[in-house]
Amino acid sequence: MNIGSIDRSAVGDLGWLHRISPRAKLVAFALVLGAVVVTWNLFVAAALLLLLAATAASARIDLRLAFSLAAYPALFAAIFALSSAPDAVAGATMVVKAVAAGLAAVTIVLTTPYPHVFAPIQRVVPGIVGDALLMTYRTMFLLLGKFGQLVRAVRLRAGLRGNHPVRMARATTTALGSLLLYALDLAQRDYDIMRLRGYSGRLRVPLPKSISLRRDAALIAAATATFALSVAWRLGWRTLGVHSWFVPLPALVLLGVAAITRTTNQEVDR
Amino acid sequence: MSHIHIPDGVLPAWLWVSGWVLTLAIVFVAGRLAERTDVRRKVPLLAVVSALMLVAMSSEIVPLAYHVNLTVIAGVLLGPVLSVIAAFIVEVVLAMLGHGGVTVLGLNTLMIATEMVLGWALFRGFVAVLSRRWVRVATGIATALTLATTTTLLVGLVALAGEGAAAAAGEQPSLSVARFAAMVYTLGPLGWMLEALISAWVLGYVARVRPGLVWDGALAHQEHHVLGDKGVRQ
Repeated sequence: MNIGSIDRSAVGDLGWLHRISPRAKLVAFALVLGAVVVTWNLFVAAALLLLLAATAASARIDLRLAFSLAAYPALFAAIFALSSAPDAVAGATMVVKAVAAGLAAVTIVLTTPYPHVFAPIQRVVPGIVGDALLMTYRTMFLLLGKFGQLVRAVRLRAGLRGNHPVRMARATTTALGSLLLYALDLAQRDYDIMRLRGYSGRLRVPLPKSISLRRDAALIAAATATFALSVAWRLGWRTLGVHSWFVPLPALVLLGVAAITRTTNQEVDR
Repeated sequence: MSHIHIPDGVLPAWLWVSGWVLTLAIVFVAGRLAERTDVRRKVPLLAVVSALMLVAMSSEIVPLAYHVNLTVIAGVLLGPVLSVIAAFIVEVVLAMLGHGGVTVLGLNTLMIATEMVLGWALFRGFVAVLSRRWVRVATGIATALTLATTTTLLVGLVALAGEGAAAAAGEQPSLSVARFAAMVYTLGPLGWMLEALISAWVLGYVARVRPGLVWDGALAHQEHHVLGDKGVRQ
């Protein structure tokens, strides 16, 4: 997981979605997630996925990173589908739903700095929970980098290669143990810093104001329409079911437009 | 089986909503209990232990579709109250990275918190029975038993979901609980063994290098004062 790239993408001012207020993005995310949860139609789920892919492409985020993160739950969803789905269509729908929900979350994280994503949660949970949540994300960066270095150092010093799996496992767990000790020292250092800076039991994270209320409203309206479509297909599946094949087509066109615009913009940037 | 890799929208709404409500209630209680003393030490400690679990969970062993969780180690270090909070934090971050659904976040938190608290209790129990010299054995057995228990809880959840889906009207398909149970009880033991071995090695190493962390918990260390504070106190 390349967390450095996630953070760079989130804080950069790359595309239109970066300029939407975090509140509007979170509301839109909830609506799109609602649409994913409600649907059990493979075509509708595929349309949602295409729509999210079009959003990600037009927002000028790193698509390889976005799709690699969103595809991660697909493996587990596939195993779950294989083990419990009654038929192939239901199984495929489960996997598409997992990827769509993952892509929705990843698109938010890649276009919004993490304090703004976690700020609404921080306000409703006890102070210690919210503050630790904010610090966890930052600490994860440090530990991932450190773990990579430790594993490399342990393997180099022990002269390990792939043909010694037990020794390699032992070396990796030693690295994990060292990382644990490093992490606890890091906690002590953070504690010292918090004491010096006069931490009083609450980190304040102000949410930025909206740049354009019209853009925010447009995003929420689009997400509401998506949710309404999903609900309509769920409620009226007996009558609308036969027309389901049509639903992904507009989303596919939108994805095509987003892809062409993205390519054109990249050429202009060069 | 730390968290449920079930996609959003597969479990019935009453189940995941109940998970969310129960999780918020226990996180709120744990938060209030934890805030009674020494918040400044607990916040960074919670952050690093949660981050450590996240680092472990982000490294997937592809052929097994398994990743290490370090939940029992985290439970031993944090104790039961902080474990509940750490479980919630880990699941929120994972959900925002697309790893684990948002709707199942509540159930995931309950599952991982159960694993941490049960792991902590079993570890303490085994160490009391076997003695401190057997730290690796105690960790290994505690981890395997904990994972077996939470896997059974997971199968129970899917059974509940299966009944809910079968009862629901409309196009939602029902889940095959027997096939799911057969799958997780076939693949699961490989994961339990792997996790038990890794946890035993890591905790054994920590017990050798810094035993206080394992026997007294990460919060039991003497309060360290930075230079500025020392100067003020003198």
